[in-house]
Amino acid sequence: MNVWELIIQQPVINVLIVMTHYLGDSFGLAIIALTIIVNLAMLVLTLNQLRSTKAMQEMQPRLQELQKKYAKDRQRLAQEQMRLYKESGIKPAGCAITMIIQMPVWIALYQSIMLSLAVAPEGLLNLAKYLYSWPIVYSILPLNREFIGLNLAEPNFIMAILVGATMWLQQKMSMTVTSTDPKQAQQTQLMLWMMPMMFTILALSFPSGLSLFWAASSIVRIVLQYRVTGWGGLKRKAPAEAESDKKYLKFEPSPEKRSTDDVGADIVITDSEPGRSYPALPSKQRYQPGKDRNMRRRKK
Amino acid sequence: MNEEIRKKSKGRRWAGRIILLATAIIVVVLAGSGCVRGLAPVGWSGGTATEGKLYVGSNEGRLVAVNLADESRQWSEALKPASGSGGFFGCSSAAATGGGLGCGTGSAGVAVYGTPVVAGDLVYMAGYNGKIYAYNKDTLAIRWVYPREGNMEPLVGGGIVYEGRYYIGDSDGRVHALDAATGDSLWQFTTGDKIWATPAAKDGTVYIGSFDNKLYALDAADGTVKWEFTAEGALITTPLVANGAIYFGSFDRNLYAVNTADGGLKWKFMADNWFWAQPVLHNGTIYAGSLDNKVYALKADTGALVTEFDLGSPVSSTPVVVEDKVIFASRKGVISAINTVNNQIGQLADLEAEVNGPLAAVEGILYVHTHDLTLHRINTANGAILRSISLKSQQ
Repeated sequence: MNVWELIIQQPVINVLIVMTHYLGDSFGLAIIALTIIVNLAMLVLTLNQLRSTKAMQEMQPRLQELQKKYAKDRQRLAQEQMRLYKESGIKPAGCAITMIIQMPVWIALYQSIMLSLAVAPEGLLNLAKYLYSWPIVYSILPLNREFIGLNLAEPNFIMAILVGATMWLQQKMSMTVTSTDPKQAQQTQLMLWMMPMMFTILALSFPSGLSLFWAASSIVRIVLQYRVTGWGGLKRKAPAEAESDKKYLKFEPSPEKRSTDDVGADIVITDSEPGRSYPALPSKQRYQPGKDRNMRRRKK
Repeated sequence: MNEEIRKKSKGRRWAGRIILLATAIIVVVLAGSGCVRGLAPVGWSGGTATEGKLYVGSNEGRLVAVNLADESRQWSEALKPASGSGGFFGCSSAAATGGGLGCGTGSAGVAVYGTPVVAGDLVYMAGYNGKIYAYNKDTLAIRWVYPREGNMEPLVGGGIVYEGRYYIGDSDGRVHALDAATGDSLWQFTTGDKIWATPAAKDGTVYIGSFDNKLYALDAADGTVKWEFTAEGALITTPLVANGAIYFGSFDRNLYAVNTADGGLKWKFMADNWFWAQPVLHNGTIYAGSLDNKVYALKADTGALVTEFDLGSPVSSTPVVVEDKVIFASRKGVISAINTVNNQIGQLADLEAEVNGPLAAVEGILYVHTHDLTLHRINTANGAILRSISLKSQQ
């Protein structure tokens, strides 16, 4: 066994088997339970990632303003965006780093589930080398593959659809970019659909035990996402709609500095929820709302 | 500064594309890594020798007859996969072929796990597609197929022919008794779980183990249960029937010896892993290979440990007795011979190929079928590796 198998795969496989034993010989329940446990173990990382996502979402109006303002000056736009990220303490690469850290854990879970399922006879034979010398582990194998009418070793159409739907939902909730840049918007749409579609196709071919793991993971992420960001990208309107419906997104000077002369006033961004406000930014980041609004009116 | 920002902006756009690409790569890697780790059935049929020919089921899903004198080969028609099996990547348990993207370890046909059996003028072979085939021994033309329409659950264990009947267990937990000449069903008996073991028969009784932890003794004539023995784990090994006892391994890591008369336990011996392969009996000693890398020599009447041998990797193939030697193969392809006179072990050869199927020996030559569609030949006297024979069809 190599280091990966010894340190990661072997423990996970044995834990899965023991959990199956204590969950009434139900491998399906063990998959769900382990998915939840692993998510809880990575809760700090996940929450950091979700909070970053939320902060990105909250920053969208300001980013959109920047995009409009500097539509013809991409260099300046990038400069302003970077400044905004920096001063808000958001690291766009942070989400990717968190994902990279979590990835080996998910791959280990995926491999362990596949090995434990021992779909083909060779799989069962290979599984023997991963087993700890615990009597429970040996006697319970091969695992019971039946779970709520599903054969976990066979692909299942409903599970494949569930995988795609939950993954899409989770992706949609976590979407941060509602860009006015058509290229970027296109890329975002591609990201939204690509993963769910690919995993649906995979789920149509792979054992439904794996689909159960993918669906359970997505559902756990949806719950966490909802707790942190609400419905996120699901609730947010497309840029064109937002533009024509300004009662949900308006920019006002802060109450204590309403003078139009004070162009450097702090900005409070409000949406439909009364009393909800976003934190004020340092003066060097301030917008010029009067100027900006007038420009838009003139365009209309 | 501006140049730097422009570069970073461009870099961010590229980062998006890279994420998309990485997603695609991860998905493909996941698919690939899943498949090569035992998702796709490949097969491990052993060989049966008779009248100068060795019959073996190839990973291409064909019965191959090898003429041992001139090394000429004859292939049957390829088995047809069960309809709807495999899916896009061919990775489900029903995947009898490397359909779709054809993942696996090179198998391009229906997997064959059971060793073909020869009786009269017919050769019998069972496929992972859930069908049993009887071939003409000389022409390899199909005489009959069971079931004639549709497919049973995958067949992993092999079949046996006993008193004009063909017996086999399927993955649906059923034991089938067929007329060996016509393939007509005579009786069926249903166990509590899958059957991956090959049955054994003696004195009018068929013995077969099931994943429901039980060894069944069935009346060969009508399938009624004579007795059953319950172990603490699933049974996958082919039972060895000799001297009034049945020897078989279980997933509870025990090798059991029970009386043929009433199924009473004689003794049991525990190893550190499963006994996967059928043991052999020679001169009052049981030689049993285990997946804990060891071969155990036990007193057949008491189960007392005589000695043990470490082969360095798991033993999943059934050994063969040649004169006073018991020859084992480890999964890594190391062939070892145990001298039963002085219980000394020596390495015969190293094939450097995965070996899971039963060994066969004819006239001092050991035949080993490996995963790479090759039939290896080894001189059992001196360990010389002879020219191997490819089982790859030329059709």
